[in-house]
Amino acid sequence: MARLIRTEKEVEGRYEEVWIVVEEDPLEQWPEGPLTAVGRSAPRKDGHERVRGEARYTADIALPGMLHAAVLRSPHAHAKVGRIDLAPALALAGVRAALGPGEAHGLVEEAGFAGAPVAAVGADTLAQARTAVEAIEIEWEELEVVLDPDDAVRRELLTAEPRSYARGDVERALAGADVVVESTYRTQTVLHNSLETHQAICEWQGDTLHVYISTQYIWGIRQAVAETLGLPEDKVRVVCEYMGGGFGSKNSPDEYTYVAAELAKRTGRPVRCALTRREENTSAGNRNATIQRLRAGARSDGTIVAFDGEFTNSVGWSGWNSSTEGPMRMLYDCENVRTVTYGAQLNTPPMKAFRAPGFVEGTFGLECLIDELASRLDVDPLELRRRNYAGSNDGTPFSSKNLEECYRRAAPHWERRHEVHARSDAVWKRGVGMASQIWYGGGGPPSYAWVRLGSDGRATVITAMQDIGTGTRTAMAQIAAEELGLPLEHVEVVLGDSARGPYASISAGSSTTPSMGPAVRAAAADAREQVEDIAEQRGMPKDTPLEEIVAVLEESQILGKGARGPNPTGMSVLTFGVHVVEVAVDVETGEVRVERVAAIHDVGRIINPLGASSQVEGGIIQGIGHTLSEERLLDPETGGVLTTSLDAYRMPTIADVPEIVCDFVDRPDEHLTNLGSKGLGEPPIVPVAAAIANAIRDATGADVHELPISREEMLRALHEAEERARARKKETRGAPAAV
Amino acid sequence: MELLRPSSVEELDGGIPFHGGTEVVPLLREGLLDAERLLDIRGLVPRGIEAGVIGAGTTLAELEVDPATPDALREACRLAASPQLRNMGSLGGNLLQATRCWYWRLGYRCRLHGGDRCHAREGEHREHGIFANGFCASAHPSDVAAALVALGARLRTSRREIAVEDLYRLPDEADRSTTTLESGELLLEVELPAVQASTYLKAMDRKRWSFPQVGVAAARHADGSARIALAGVAPIPWRIESIEELDGATPLPRTEWKLPLARALVRRALAALDQ
Repeated sequence: MARLIRTEKEVEGRYEEVWIVVEEDPLEQWPEGPLTAVGRSAPRKDGHERVRGEARYTADIALPGMLHAAVLRSPHAHAKVGRIDLAPALALAGVRAALGPGEAHGLVEEAGFAGAPVAAVGADTLAQARTAVEAIEIEWEELEVVLDPDDAVRRELLTAEPRSYARGDVERALAGADVVVESTYRTQTVLHNSLETHQAICEWQGDTLHVYISTQYIWGIRQAVAETLGLPEDKVRVVCEYMGGGFGSKNSPDEYTYVAAELAKRTGRPVRCALTRREENTSAGNRNATIQRLRAGARSDGTIVAFDGEFTNSVGWSGWNSSTEGPMRMLYDCENVRTVTYGAQLNTPPMKAFRAPGFVEGTFGLECLIDELASRLDVDPLELRRRNYAGSNDGTPFSSKNLEECYRRAAPHWERRHEVHARSDAVWKRGVGMASQIWYGGGGPPSYAWVRLGSDGRATVITAMQDIGTGTRTAMAQIAAEELGLPLEHVEVVLGDSARGPYASISAGSSTTPSMGPAVRAAAADAREQVEDIAEQRGMPKDTPLEEIVAVLEESQILGKGARGPNPTGMSVLTFGVHVVEVAVDVETGEVRVERVAAIHDVGRIINPLGASSQVEGGIIQGIGHTLSEERLLDPETGGVLTTSLDAYRMPTIADVPEIVCDFVDRPDEHLTNLGSKGLGEPPIVPVAAAIANAIRDATGADVHELPISREEMLRALHEAEERARARKKETRGAPAAV
Repeated sequence: MELLRPSSVEELDGGIPFHGGTEVVPLLREGLLDAERLLDIRGLVPRGIEAGVIGAGTTLAELEVDPATPDALREACRLAASPQLRNMGSLGGNLLQATRCWYWRLGYRCRLHGGDRCHAREGEHREHGIFANGFCASAHPSDVAAALVALGARLRTSRREIAVEDLYRLPDEADRSTTTLESGELLLEVELPAVQASTYLKAMDRKRWSFPQVGVAAARHADGSARIALAGVAPIPWRIESIEELDGATPLPRTEWKLPLARALVRRALAALDQ
């Protein structure tokens, strides 16, 4: 039965109160462990289409008569458009229409960062559009540029009120602590650099706008475009059948969609607006840089008594103040915690969500601090983490938490450190580090699915969700096949089109599987129950195979529908994990090699172990780039992005990938939906940087405090460690003999 | 724009020659090269290795696997770019590639583009030079050039015969170019003297597909002397006579880290020659 509830909805650690209609979730969870289809490794259902180049991504769509748009972007980090003349662009060959500031949503008059969109041109070819954009005459009034986050905080140039949190009495606890460690950690700005750049094709058919877009949220695009353009939502159709990566940066429509829509309206032609690779690096969002000034106090027995953190997010011109303090608040049992988080508004490109925003950065600071504390206390880092295990989330019980089991499974990997140390030589120092992971990933309602079952015993799952490349299509087919008792090959999944299926969740915040999976299972169960009714009416025994029962249906079909039920009330639904990393450091050249990563994750029931491992591998590889080689650099004078190509912005190559060992606790969360599954998109990237940094410290004694741990940072830290050792030696030699 | 396939070097004047196109095509696309006429020189430039002479049209991929390639050059080829780029990129084109300085690549009006300042010196320069960086702080990107300089290779062009190191010059106020190549002059062949041993060591940001942070080529010549040349440290391939010469480096605030790195690599390269 449908029920209207007021509930807290969480995406990427941001909560909002919403009214939603939920349907009860009466299905019992399946028993723990691998079943027939669920819990068994299945190759991607669309794997062949993808490798054969048949899968149609947004970038592949070419509509008859389609025009191409190019966008004029601000060369200044902060400037106002004084005078703009589109006429020279309109006079050029092939140009069909041009838009100035304010003529499409997102085209701005005041550019707050270099790369901000201000005007656009639609032309027959992309080359014509680009040439025309260059021809636009524009005069700028340059404004003050602020690039330093500490400066912005001092001057209260913030994107929002600072976020403060406190429990207990931190000052008193620190004063009474046996050991206090204090450290500043810095993380850099990194870019998503999705393989498929941000893009949309818009086409008006009558009064309906068709939007083909590379997106993580079909229904969010539909809603936002309808609202912005003043259309009924049913007059906006959004299509995204295959996705070339988003990582959090493709949750909203943005200027390219509105430029395409407006140019399409003015010309009566379909229009594509696609970012170039350079634009992708300047204007498509980023993981913002952070400064983390941290303190921790502990008793000599290893009990952590206080955490104190001041966090500054370099948000950029716009964006939100992500939860960099989250891990400090949630990961350990600690009575006294105080955090304040500033979101500095700078004349730099706006941040966007990027795979566990805030928690990736915050975990680097916190989990390095924990290792510093362990070293000062002379307690084993794994033991210190276990001793301060959190039994609740600040008083709220966890729906399920198997982090202790993750630690237990991490122990043999951690034990390898003795053997790893033994393989060090004069040049290559080897070490092992670990870090824990906490993050969201429970998903939530609403989400719906339909199941259509024919007399041939084949089923089709229909839902207007998106598969952003994570393999959701396959996971949904597995869930339906399990519930229906059909072979996986007899289940198809139709998705990616708002006109062909019911509302479906955003694919962000590790929510697709936990949001959509239960709806798909409910729809399949509805179909199965109808089939059982038919069997009963025909007097067939209870264990008659489904194919036999439906065989008499001829043209008749069984239609099942299902909805995502509510999340458990009064409980924190979170994901957990531990990584143990082995590194080798060349202490003469500062080269860091990640040699092995053991990743143990607790995300409830695993639907497809093969797909899950591939998520973990991808997260770790992206994390290695974040830790060692990726950094968006700005010109300190103009604020312009300097790393705008894939040879200047260095993501890991396949040669940089270490041995990766994946392990899943794979215990259903008994309180969460009919599946007990949480999401896994983000958790694997969360602990990577801290685990690598801790391994480097273990190998070399060098304190690395800044990401990326480039050769520059590594050589600096090695030099500092050497100086420290030399000073200690001198001190010992120079000390007066004991009396 | 027209594309021509000249049949003799006399027809080269007034166009931009290209071989593999891995450098010229991106520069054209970015508007950093402007050409009315493109000249496909694949039919004009010798290709292959024979008796110590390498055709300038030989690809890096071919050099990587040819048994006649000396070690320093083979390593320089193997560690350069990606397999796709090595399949297309020619030896001659590699020697003539432009700097990766982001200011230059993004068209900032720097000294190499005829302007009056080096943006990198005052700005973001963590990948830039530690030698001869007063006028222009760019770092030469070619692994292959450093290897050939260490090997003491000579170059035959359509007009002259010179040592490979004489192909390069430091830019100055009067002349902003980093090579001595004249308009219409074509690189044809590289001649390699026999050496006793050679090696190339390269530090990168990641394991593959990265320009040298520092590259060190060293060769033990027939007379017993060792020649050392560095990539990634100066606007042109940089020759040093001994490891002590590194003491004369003039690093910028954020290129200081390249100095200990260069020291370690030179030490290792020299040690490798004696193994």
